[in-house]
Amino acid sequence: MLSSFDPRINRLELPDAPSIPTDKVALDQFPTYEVFHQRKENAAYAYVGPVHAPEADVAFLFAKEQFSRRFPCTGMWVAPTSAIQVTPYGNDQESVYNLLPLLPVESATADATGQQAYDIFHLKKRGKAHAHVGQVSASSPEAALQAAKAAFGDQRPVVNVWVIRSADLLRSDDEDRDMWTTTPDKKYREAISYKVQDRIDRFKQEG
Amino acid sequence: MYGSASTHDIPAKATTGLENEDPILLAEFEARIARGEKIEPTDWMPQLYRKQLTRMIEQHAHSEIIGSLPEGTWITRAPGFRRKMAQMAKVQDEVGHAQLLYSAAETLGKTREQMLSDLVNGKSKYSNVFNYPTPTWADSNVISWLIDAGAIVNQLANAKGSYGPYCRALDRICAEEAFHLKYGHDAVVHMATGTPIQRKMMQEALNRWWPAIMTFFGPSDKMSTHTEILMRWKVKMATNDACRQQFLDMYVPKIWEIGLTLPDANLRKNEDGVWEFSEPDWEDFKRVINGDGPCNAERIAVRRAAEENGAWVRRAMQQPQARYVRPLA
Amino acid sequence: MNPTLDLLYRLADDQLILGHRNSEWNGLGPILEEDIAFSSMAQDKLGHSLQLYTLLHELGEAEPDTVAFTRNAPQFHCCQLTELPIGEYDFSLIRHFLFDHAELLRFEALADSSYEPLALVARKIKGELKYHVLHANTWVKRLGTATEEAIERMQAALEFTLPYALGIFETTDAEPEIISSGLFIGEKELQTRWEASVSKVLAQTALTLPDLRTLTPVAGGRHGQHTEHLQPLLDEMAEVFRLDPTADW
Repeated sequence: MLSSFDPRINRLELPDAPSIPTDKVALDQFPTYEVFHQRKENAAYAYVGPVHAPEADVAFLFAKEQFSRRFPCTGMWVAPTSAIQVTPYGNDQESVYNLLPLLPVESATADATGQQAYDIFHLKKRGKAHAHVGQVSASSPEAALQAAKAAFGDQRPVVNVWVIRSADLLRSDDEDRDMWTTTPDKKYREAISYKVQDRIDRFKQEG
Repeated sequence: MYGSASTHDIPAKATTGLENEDPILLAEFEARIARGEKIEPTDWMPQLYRKQLTRMIEQHAHSEIIGSLPEGTWITRAPGFRRKMAQMAKVQDEVGHAQLLYSAAETLGKTREQMLSDLVNGKSKYSNVFNYPTPTWADSNVISWLIDAGAIVNQLANAKGSYGPYCRALDRICAEEAFHLKYGHDAVVHMATGTPIQRKMMQEALNRWWPAIMTFFGPSDKMSTHTEILMRWKVKMATNDACRQQFLDMYVPKIWEIGLTLPDANLRKNEDGVWEFSEPDWEDFKRVINGDGPCNAERIAVRRAAEENGAWVRRAMQQPQARYVRPLA
Repeated sequence: MNPTLDLLYRLADDQLILGHRNSEWNGLGPILEEDIAFSSMAQDKLGHSLQLYTLLHELGEAEPDTVAFTRNAPQFHCCQLTELPIGEYDFSLIRHFLFDHAELLRFEALADSSYEPLALVARKIKGELKYHVLHANTWVKRLGTATEEAIERMQAALEFTLPYALGIFETTDAEPEIISSGLFIGEKELQTRWEASVSKVLAQTALTLPDLRTLTPVAGGRHGQHTEHLQPLLDEMAEVFRLDPTADW
């Protein structure tokens, strides 16, 4: 049996020789969900990263601890990666909306049936994070992008746009606000709690 | 927590493959990096860039998940509430960093499960220092402070690299590591300035770890065509020697000021401000990185057990209609 | 024992021992993201126990570190459920589900405790407990409706764990006074609420809740009688702390 300095490992009672290699790929790959957080009240939701999860409710559980445990936020959204429409990336300082093919913009009087809400996210600079700019109503993701161009196209710069059908975003509940306010109490996870200079100075004086 | 950018495992004379790339696209790509713009996942990129970044970010991710084990060794035994909770939070962060880094690597096309599969089947490397054991609480403190300090030197450099998703992950990781560094320093200072039992335990742990720490950034870089290209593309941001010098300059005085000694009679700063030291045993380094270290087998076996014991959970949660696509950013 | 001390020791010891146990999963969990979430909840439990030991210290008991790291098993008042080894993930999840439902309901009631410092703590940790129960419910609902393998495992874990879970509600001699003084609603009332709460979730799964009347609760923990697992756990937890009792770690 494998003997470790870690009592937890010894309790696993692992064999000394490794078992037969296993190819876990096909079995295990969960879909990914993209996660957005709201840093403080009234701030725009901004992209923080993906999680792997079988479904949206589990993605939400995972996202909460992976992306809010160290830096407080007031709310979180998750969306399946596969449900997000992405434009090409433009150069920094430019607007990617200018690169989009010109399609007829749906007239405001178009049949309201089949219209859905879409949330629009802009990336202002390569290497930074996408942030929410607003919602549009449209009959398809392509039409939503055109509508976004009309609504937000004057913003500069925009190097990339994400379009997400609003129904595909799972949003934290306003009722659960108290779930997000616990992070600032956990001082032991903050660098500022570790002040050791006094001890060093005392040691030097005594030395 | 991660050491060198691992260019040491690229054969120096390997072909760069650049002759097969479209010269116009390549020129645009290089111009973008030269302008200081980041590369994003759907941009065109040379094969060599994709391959090297995938390997580097993947190894970094493995180093985090494996790196959680030597400190995890003391998670149930940390003395007192303050240390117990912080040790848990720190080990948790290492797992969190692995999650962020695997995601960044996935944007380049390799799935997380493929990476984990390669890890548990011994096909991938991770930072060599984690192949050494932590026989005492003090050893865990040395990792928390000095290995994380080394990792931060490296990660701050890499955060200025050219690949957007890696930069985003590193920005977050560096912000989180600020706690690790302070926590580790705090714990080491308490031991070094504490009772005779504590002082002895800490000095012995430091003596054990110093040779490994000196190899943390990897051997001196051989300036090959590869290295030059990777530096031009901002994949590799600083030479191993530059990182090592920066680390020594920042931390040796902090080690000495609390009355600890380092087991290298040749260690000193010369008049030019350059640190001199005994050359680390690179033969031993190679031997360990290739599998023959004190804990290589255990680290892989434990990770594999975690995967195998969790397989039924993942199997049960899998949805038949689920479709995996690469994370976007 | 004084009813306030009696209640606080039971609450604090539960949180410490289960938080410690759950931390054993850190780095070894079934999914990276779940590993992170489970560790957060273990840290929360440690944090709760520290707040409760701090209340005890204010009432004249020893420092939290001394109380947590130097007592032996017979001096602990945790229920035996908390001290069992982590086992496989099915057991750890079911224990988390059964314990945390009781924990949430307990602290909801304690928010109205006549002992104001305790009521304050209860109100403060409510947001954390809400997440813990959301987490537990999501997992039990997912695995409890998943593959045959998962359902069988979860059912077996449920049946094994329930008698221990009933031990959560074991009372002490102080119980009548705890209730009459308005410190707490009492274990019997808590158990009634708990049964309703866990049945409601289990009803949404393929899992069957046995008739709790037919089960014998595993009691003793509240009176210092523990399984053979607690003393080794405490020895391990205090291994470094006891190396040098004069040291500041």
